[in-house]
Amino acid sequence: MKLLTKLTLFITLSKLLIVVLFVVMLPLLVNRVSFQYTNYYLGEQKKKVLAVIQKNGVDYYLQGDSAYGSYTMLKEEYISLFPAGNQVVSDTIETSQRIVDNDTLNYRVLTHTLTYGHQHYLLEIGKTTATIGEYNHLLQRFTLYILIGLIAISIIADLVYTNVLLRPLARIVRTKLVDRKFPFKESLPPVKTSTSDFKYLDNSLISLMEKIHEAFDKEREFTSNASHELMTPISILQTNIENMMVDESISEAQQEKISAMMKTLNRLKKIVHSLLYISRIENDQFAKNDTVNMHTVVTEVMDELSHRLEINDIGFTNSVSMNAGVKQVNHDLVFQLLYNLINNAIRYNKPNGFIQVMDQYTPGEHYTLLIKDTGIGIPPEELTTIFNRFKKSGQQGGEGYGLGLSIVKSIALYHEFEIKVNSELGKGTVFSIEIPWQMMAD
Amino acid sequence: MKVLIIEDEKAMAKDMCTFLEKSFYLCDIAYSANEGNNLMEENQYDFILLDLGLPDKDGLEVLNETKKMCPNAAYIILTARGDLDDRIKGLDLGADDYLAKPFSLLELQSRMQAITRRRSGNNDPLIELGDFYLDLNKRAVWFEKKDIELSRKEFDLLSYMLLHKNRPLTRFQLSEHIWGNFSDDEYDSNYIDVHIKNIRKKMSVHAPVDWLQTLRGIGYKIKI
Repeated sequence: MKLLTKLTLFITLSKLLIVVLFVVMLPLLVNRVSFQYTNYYLGEQKKKVLAVIQKNGVDYYLQGDSAYGSYTMLKEEYISLFPAGNQVVSDTIETSQRIVDNDTLNYRVLTHTLTYGHQHYLLEIGKTTATIGEYNHLLQRFTLYILIGLIAISIIADLVYTNVLLRPLARIVRTKLVDRKFPFKESLPPVKTSTSDFKYLDNSLISLMEKIHEAFDKEREFTSNASHELMTPISILQTNIENMMVDESISEAQQEKISAMMKTLNRLKKIVHSLLYISRIENDQFAKNDTVNMHTVVTEVMDELSHRLEINDIGFTNSVSMNAGVKQVNHDLVFQLLYNLINNAIRYNKPNGFIQVMDQYTPGEHYTLLIKDTGIGIPPEELTTIFNRFKKSGQQGGEGYGLGLSIVKSIALYHEFEIKVNSELGKGTVFSIEIPWQMMAD
Repeated sequence: MKVLIIEDEKAMAKDMCTFLEKSFYLCDIAYSANEGNNLMEENQYDFILLDLGLPDKDGLEVLNETKKMCPNAAYIILTARGDLDDRIKGLDLGADDYLAKPFSLLELQSRMQAITRRRSGNNDPLIELGDFYLDLNKRAVWFEKKDIELSRKEFDLLSYMLLHKNRPLTRFQLSEHIWGNFSDDEYDSNYIDVHIKNIRKKMSVHAPVDWLQTLRGIGYKIKI
C-alpha cells in the first residue's frame, strides 16, 4: 500500500474513532453538565430567596401558617419553607420525589436549614428533572454538528498537507528509480525539498547510482584494456604455433600435439574476442541506425547455421511475420543476438529435435520474438544465472554456456530489449525477446 | 613478391616473415614507422603489412604517408584494436584489406593471394589440382571440361586447402576460414569432416583424389 494511502486511511480512521467516542459519551457529558448547571441554578435561587426572606422576614411568608409552599403553574419549580424544630442539616442537593397537587414528580431538590430568630426553618428549592434534560437533545445535536464539521475540516487539512509533504518522495521515486536503466549513465539533479529526510534519501540515491556507474565504467575499461593487452601475446603464440606446424622437421606425433595446442589457443582467442565484443557493445561502439526485418534476419541466421541443423537432423521453422520491422537497431548486433540464441537451441537440442522462431504482437506495449526448442532444457536453479559471464552449465556435455548468453544480454540491454527465458528440464526452452513498441517500424 | 612488414612486436614480425618466405615471398621487417620509411626509400614493395599500434607514430598517419611513398603497393592493416572506426578509416585511406589480431598466418596469405588475383585481372585463374582444374574467379571445378558441382562452402574449403597446398591444416584453421568469427571451436571442426567427405565423393567419381590426405588427429592436407 502506498504511504499516502496509509496515512490517509490512518487519519480518516482515527478521526472517525474520535467522532464515535464522542457520540457515545455525548449524552453522559451533556447530562452531567445540565445537572451541574441545575445545582448552580438552585444555589443561585437559594441566595435570592434568602435575600428576600432577609428583607421581608419569615413571617411575611408564613403568615401564621406553619409552612409555606409555592410552585409555578406547570409545577416545574417549587419553593417550600417550614419549621425544622431543632434539627439542623447542612445543605444537600439530591434528586427525590415530591407530591405536588397530588402529582408525584421527580425533582432536583436543594435543602437548606435557615435560622431566623431562634427558630430553624427548612428551605427546599426544587426543579423537575424533566426540565433539566429539556435542552439536552438540542445541545447534543448542535455539538455533534460542530464536531463533525471541525473533523471534516481537519481531515481535509491533514490530507492536503501530507500530500504536499510527500510530493518530493513521489518525485524521487519517479525520477530516480522508476524506469532508470542500468548502468545509470546520466546523473540527475537533486529533487527540491525542505524535508531533510527526503534530501538525505535523494542524495544517497544519487551517490549510490554514481558509485554503481563508476564501478561499471571501471569494469568496462578493465575488460577492454585487458582484452587488448591479451591480443598481442595471443597473436604471437598463434603465428609461432602455425609456423611450427609447417616445419618439415616435425614428426606427425608432434604435429598432433601442436594441433591440440592450437585448439586450446583457439579457445583462449574466442574468450578474449567475446570479452572485447561485450566491452565494445558496452562502450556504445555500434551505431543504432538500422531498420531490420526480423523475418529476414532469422533467415540469414539460418543460412549460416544450416549445416549444423542438417547434421543433427533438427527441424526448423521461421514463423516470424514477413513485415516485422524494427528500427533504431544495429543489424550486426541483432544478427549476433539471434545467432547465439538459435545456435544454443541447436547445440542443446536432441537428435531429431525441433526449433521454432515466432513472434507475438502486444500493440502499444511490445513486440515479442520467441525462440522455442525441444532440447534438454535448463534446470530451474540455473535459469537466473545463465546470462552471467563464464557461467557453466551444471549438466554434462561440453563447455557450458560460456559467453554466448552474456553477449545476448549485452546486446539486449544496449537496445533496451527485454530477454526472458522459460524452460522445462528435458522438454525444451523458450527464449523471448521483448522489443518496445515504439521501436517498431511503420 | 616483396613484402614489408611494419610491426613493433619482434616475435610476431619474424613469424610472419618465416611463414611468408616458405611461400616464396621476400620479406623485410621494420620495427617502427621510422625504420619503415627508411626501407621504403630504398626499396619498392608489392605488399606492405602495417600494424596500427606502432610506438613512434599513429598507424593511420603512417598509412597516409606511406601511401604517398609507395602508391603501387597493396596495404593490409593489422591491428589489435579491433575498433570499427579504425577499420573504416583504414579502408578509406586506401588499405586493401584489414586483419584483426590475433589472425591466422594462413588467413593473411590467403588475403594477400586474393589481392594479387584482384589486381592481375583475369590472367590465368585456372589452377591445376591432380586431374582437375579450379577457376577461382568463376568459383568452378572442372574435369575434362565437365563441371563438378560443389557447394559454396565446399568450394571455399577446397580452394583454401589448395592455396596452402603441402601444408598440414588443422580442422580449426579450416573452420575458422569457413565460418570466420562464427566458428565454434570443436563443434564446427566436425562439420569440416562432413564437407571433406562430400568433396571426395563428388570428385572421386571422375578421377582419384589421393592428393587430399587425412592427417589423423590433426586435419587435412593437399599434397601435389
